[in-house]
Order: sequence, then structure tokens, then C-alpha cells
Amino acid sequence: MEDLIKKIKSRLHLRPEAEEFLYSISKEKTLSKGEVLIRQGQTVKKTFFVTSGCLRSYCIDKNGKEHTLLFAIKDWWISDYIAIHTDELSTLTVECLTESKVIEFNAKELDGIHARFPEFESYQRHNLERHVVSLHKRILNQLQLSAAERYDLFLKQYPDIEQHTRNFHIASYLGITQQSLSRIRVEKVKK
Amino acid sequence: MKALQIIKYGEIKDSLAFNEVSKPTVQANDVLIEVKAAAINPIDKSIILGNLQGMLPIPLPSTSAYDVSGIVVETGNEVSNFEIGDLVYSRVPQEQMGTLAEFVAVTSDAVSKKPGNISFEEAASLPLAGLTALQSLEYAGIKENDKVLIHAGSGGVGSFAIQYAKAKGAYVYTTTSTNNVQWVKELGADRVIDYKTEDYKSIAKDVDIVFDTLGQNYSLESFEVVKTAGKVVSVVGPLDEASAKMFGMADYKLPEELAEASSEKNVEYKFIFMHPNGAHLNEIKSMIEDEKIKPIVDKVYPFSESIQAFIHLASGRAKGKIVIKIH
Repeated sequence: MEDLIKKIKSRLHLRPEAEEFLYSISKEKTLSKGEVLIRQGQTVKKTFFVTSGCLRSYCIDKNGKEHTLLFAIKDWWISDYIAIHTDELSTLTVECLTESKVIEFNAKELDGIHARFPEFESYQRHNLERHVVSLHKRILNQLQLSAAERYDLFLKQYPDIEQHTRNFHIASYLGITQQSLSRIRVEKVKK
Repeated sequence: MKALQIIKYGEIKDSLAFNEVSKPTVQANDVLIEVKAAAINPIDKSIILGNLQGMLPIPLPSTSAYDVSGIVVETGNEVSNFEIGDLVYSRVPQEQMGTLAEFVAVTSDAVSKKPGNISFEEAASLPLAGLTALQSLEYAGIKENDKVLIHAGSGGVGSFAIQYAKAKGAYVYTTTSTNNVQWVKELGADRVIDYKTEDYKSIAKDVDIVFDTLGQNYSLESFEVVKTAGKVVSVVGPLDEASAKMFGMADYKLPEELAEASSEKNVEYKFIFMHPNGAHLNEIKSMIEDEKIKPIVDKVYPFSESIQAFIHLASGRAKGKIVIKIH
């Protein structure tokens, strides 16, 4: 939690009562590999800040296949924001790919923090903008880049991730088959 | 709920019927699975034909089939390893047979999460054939560089066994007919023997393991090609004595020629009874997710055409598994 507080303090003046409030709506958790934090089809009330390890959010299509939306490593947030903001059941599953440490927040309370502590307004807006930028980049990359280029970008974004993930996780994040991923890797080695 | 039931023993088209039956109730260790897909296997056909009445007496009518994939919709009080919403697959135990239905209750020990990178239909094709192959080759102690002969490489069990043996680093011989040579090669077999034009016994010699999926004369012939102190594992040949004892056949003796051949070469002969096992399915899940093994599905039928699916199975012409989509 100290790391997150430090991050927040680097961006705004955090009053002691705001810090106390953050502690009151959060819980630090150590999770084991394979643990599921959010399950498709359930109500979502929590959001998670990752302090170590690696998590993955994915949807399951009607044929039962998984499609990875994102990986969350240290300093990333992860949840099903569609479910939180629409009050619908989760369309995503969030699971731990390694033993991980997270700080769990009640999403609605965290969302409403700026009502009590207005200094959080610009902080939250900034976070949201960064999130939108990252999503737009992901969509545009998906539309215009080759699979090999997307894989290169993926490795830059998540430098150490390959030790934590299975090939099918990465292939399903990039929207390619596992064979294509293997081919791209072979080509990379040749270069 | 709707279920495809065996109403009498005999010809497939006369012995199966869609019935309205009650939804299974969940015992403390069970999960209730909403069935997405079920697969059918030669054993299902044999049961319908009445060939297994002695070994597997089942009350009629009974819902058919053992292989399933689907979604957990209810859990028993003592189930801790699954939750509602989990996507799972299973080869259900004998007493819970009946996956050609909208729901099936299965003891959680026989269930595993399904591989995430394949469809429900592909997942349903795996359990029975996969467990049979895995348990047989594991019993035989398969290891890197072993030479293994797998009969009938194009069958459900054979096609899985080839891929499993390759994943373990073995050198694989397999037999198949001319039409199947190419695609069986593509499964990774090192030497595909076309039994219509080649004599497998002159090609596969001194192998460490024979996996007999054909029975009859092939069980005895296995001892001609296996090396001294090798292993012969069979899923269709005669019972071995220890297995027979388990079935209460205390006086059972291995057929004389087989016993002689086995003792002459100091080769262990073992009949493998596939047993439902969630942990083994979990192992298969990892191998599927790492693409060490691929599911081989011949055709997917809608639930309403299940009887045609059984007729296709009975033709013996399927390359890979026959799957029925339920939901």
C-alpha cells in the first residue's frame, strides 16, 4: 500500500484524512497462481491495484474459447470496468497467472473519493485519460499493424511477461493463433 | 430436460430415443454441468448393441455417453475446487453415465477446467480417449527416446496417444490404412506403417512399448515386436490376471500363448481400465494449451441429429472424434 500512497503523493498533496480513507476502503491481498478474482457472469464490486506478480483479464466467447483483454503487472489496475460502470454482470474473468500481491478496493467507493477529497478529481481524470489512450492504441494497433509488429510492441509494454504467461495467453491477446506466434518468434530469432 | 436414451439393446436406429427426463440432483461431491457438447465413443455403441451387458449392466432406459464439456451451474456442499460459472470437461464415471442430455451431475474428482484455447466441442472430444492413452502410456512408463508402437493411429485413442508419446520424446511407430497415412503423419508419428501394403512386424522391431488398441491377434503379435523386458499395454486384449482378480475372477488365467510369450521375453502384459480422473484431465489441459496435443474432431452434429452421429460412429470411418453439440 505504501508504494501506491507514494505514487499518489507524487501527483497530489494527500491529506492525512484522505490517506486514512484510502486505507479504510482497501485491503492488501496475497493471491496464489490460478486464483480467480472476478468470474464472468458475476457482479463486480472490486478493483485491484497490482503490487507484484501478473494477472490477466479475459472473456470467453460462445464457443468456450478465451480471449485475453489485458495483462496487469506491477503498478497496473485491473477489474471489469464495463460491469462496474454499467452495473451489469461481468463479461470478463480476472485470474492470477503467478503468485501476486494486490490491493483490493471497493470500486464505487474509490470512484467516489473525489466527492470527499476534490484533489483526487484531476488525478482520477488523468488516470482515466491514460487508460483511454492505452485502449485506443491497442485498437489502432490491432487494426493497422502486422502480427509481428504487435508482438514487438507487446514485448516492449510487458518486458518480462513471457516467463509468467502461456503461449496461448499471448496469442489470444494478439488475436493470432499459437502457430503464428511460434512462427513470429522463429523469425525474430533469425533476425 | 431432454436426453438421448438407450431404450433397448439392439440396432442403433431402433434403440435410441429422445426422452424428457428429470434434471439430475447434485450429491455433496458433485457439480452439475450444463452440457455444451458431448462426444461419443466406440464403448457407447457397444453398450447400445448390447455387447457389454455382462460387464456393464445398466438399467434401461439410460442416458447415453460419457464425454462432456460445459459450464458448472451448481455445486454440492462439499465441492471446493469448482465454482458456478467454471468451464469444465470430464469423462463421467460409469454410475453417472449420460452426457447426451441438457445437464449431467458429475463427481468433482472426475472433472477439470477445460483448456482455454479450444472450443467446447473440441474439449468434449478429449476425456475418454485422452485418459485411455495417457493412463496406458503412463503405466508403461513412457520416457524420452523410447520406441513405441501404437496401433490404429487414426482412431480416437491412437491419434491422442501418438501426440502424447511425441510430447514425451518417444519415437513413434503407428499403423493405419492407406487413406489415413498422411494425416496421421501430421500428428507427429515418426514412422507411419500402412498396414494394407506393409508388414508392421518387419518395421517396428524391439520396441520398448506396444500400445495395443486392436486386440484379437494383435495382442499376441505384440510380443513379436516388443523388446525383452519391454511392456505391452492393451485396452482391448484379454484381461491380465491381476485385473481379472479385481473383478472377482479369482481363477482367471491369461490365455496360454500370451502367458508363454510374456514369460519368454520377460515382458509385462497389462490390461488398462481407463478410470475417470480430474487430475489427469488437468494434465491434458496443460498439454492442449501448450499445443503439444491437438484435439481431432471429425464432425460435430446438432443434438437433434444424435442418432445419425451414432450411425456415423458405427461406420468406423471417422477420422478423429464425433461430437454432439447440446446447447
